[in-house]
Amino acid sequence: MLERPLTDASTPVAGSGWRRLATWLGEPKTLGWLAVAAVLIGWELVVIVFGFNPIYLPRPTRIVLALIEMFRNGGLTTDLLYTLGRVFGGFAIALVFGVAIGIWMAISERFNAIADNFIAALYPLPKVTLIPLLIIWLGTGGPFMLTISALGAVFPIVLNTLLGIRQCDPGLVLAARDLGATRGQIIRMVLLPGAVPSIFAGIRLGLGVSIILVVAAEMVVGKLGLGARLYLAGQVLETEQVFAVLIVLATLGIVITKTQDAIDVWLNRWRVA
Amino acid sequence: MAMAGPAVAIDCEGVGLTYKAKTGTAVNALENVRCRFAPGKVTAIIGPSGCGKSTLLQIARGFLDPSQGRLRFVTLSGEPAAAPAMATVWQAFNLFPWRTVLENVAFGLELAGVSRADREARAKRALAKVDLAGFEDKYPKQLSGGMRQRVGIARALVMEPDVLLLDEPFGALDAQTRLVLQEQLATLVDTSGTTAILVTHSIEEAILLADTVLVMTARPGRIAAEIEVDLPRPRSLATTHDAAYGALFDQIYGLLRDEVVRAMTTEGGEA
Repeated sequence: MLERPLTDASTPVAGSGWRRLATWLGEPKTLGWLAVAAVLIGWELVVIVFGFNPIYLPRPTRIVLALIEMFRNGGLTTDLLYTLGRVFGGFAIALVFGVAIGIWMAISERFNAIADNFIAALYPLPKVTLIPLLIIWLGTGGPFMLTISALGAVFPIVLNTLLGIRQCDPGLVLAARDLGATRGQIIRMVLLPGAVPSIFAGIRLGLGVSIILVVAAEMVVGKLGLGARLYLAGQVLETEQVFAVLIVLATLGIVITKTQDAIDVWLNRWRVA
Repeated sequence: MAMAGPAVAIDCEGVGLTYKAKTGTAVNALENVRCRFAPGKVTAIIGPSGCGKSTLLQIARGFLDPSQGRLRFVTLSGEPAAAPAMATVWQAFNLFPWRTVLENVAFGLELAGVSRADREARAKRALAKVDLAGFEDKYPKQLSGGMRQRVGIARALVMEPDVLLLDEPFGALDAQTRLVLQEQLATLVDTSGTTAILVTHSIEEAILLADTVLVMTARPGRIAAEIEVDLPRPRSLATTHDAAYGALFDQIYGLLRDEVVRAMTTEGGEA
């Protein structure tokens, strides 16, 4: 200790390899992944040591093998594509209608008064409760799946579009009028771009709800899709497969969240000085 | 900035404006305003806060309809004329934050359907005029207040308006920036020969920029006096050391002082 004063900035070369490793291990990001690894290894060991029945708790390595097997021969890719198609298909419908309704509500007091009561009634309603009614009306095929997915996403998108436009600085509208903008140009070139960050916040919320609803609907009625796969595997006590589907869903969540983060940064580039 | 059509004056003939406040009471903002904004001249409107200066500007712009009297556009020979092209520079800048500096300046041309290459070339020239060459790709948030208002001025000038409306253009800027921009604007207005209407709180700004100063009363706003400024151009900060400048300043201040006190003692003198 005494050989090296605390203020000495020039760290000795000897032992710097260990030191670098220690620094790397102490970094928050590394630490986060190490924790995940530790839990998985601990899980594996606990199952082996205590000899748990794999019906209750399979080993992580077996889950990964099951996952690979399901992708190779079990048609999990098809299920994934079905679920993605339903989620994003319904979401796309919700985006078009949601933004249009939001804009209309923002610029027309009359339409706002009409739409407001319906939204107040439908928005807080848990959309899962609509599944039985929608099955009676639409059956269990594609139209039902797209409808339930769109219903989940449309309300947050409408409300955030409305909010985004209402928060638009009236000075900007005045400036656009002064420069000769028509009503349509003001909507397209001032109100809408100004509301984009808010609309995107609505998209985030809406897409999350869409995923929940599609998977829930698949669990109830589906023969195809991740939710159906999850439910069927549970029915026959294929616990490894249940975990495997959960991993796919979790990964899907991560990919979507990170993509949204990246889009958010790009959309907000003009907000930071 | 060459004036497109024949020179057109904007005449306010007994303009008044009464509006209903949120509390339900009728507010008399303007009363029997008679004045002329002469073509090729800079007219300053000065008055206490809340006297309806900006309201008068909005009426001249055609964004507000007067509740009494009328607004007329006439040629110098007295013939009725079409409304001249106008563009406004705002106190709060009102730049589109999601558009770059260049896109902001080109906005009006884009609305008018001017091709991208053409509008960008014209916007670049306008930016060079306000010493902002090289800042085309910045966003407004990345600029200082003074630079933002120069973008605002370029955005108005690029439209080559017959009439430039300046609504307290330097009200949100610090005193030093304000001095520099006042001089720059004086030069721009001198060289362009455009008609300008300037709403301001600053007597100094009014004298440095205007040919005519309209002094308004506290609410309801009326024209208390019309003062000609016949100081030589170009004017600069040096002009303020002139004896004639001092006399004008005192005259305007004398008229304003009573009105400002009156505005402060009635209705809390809110803006």
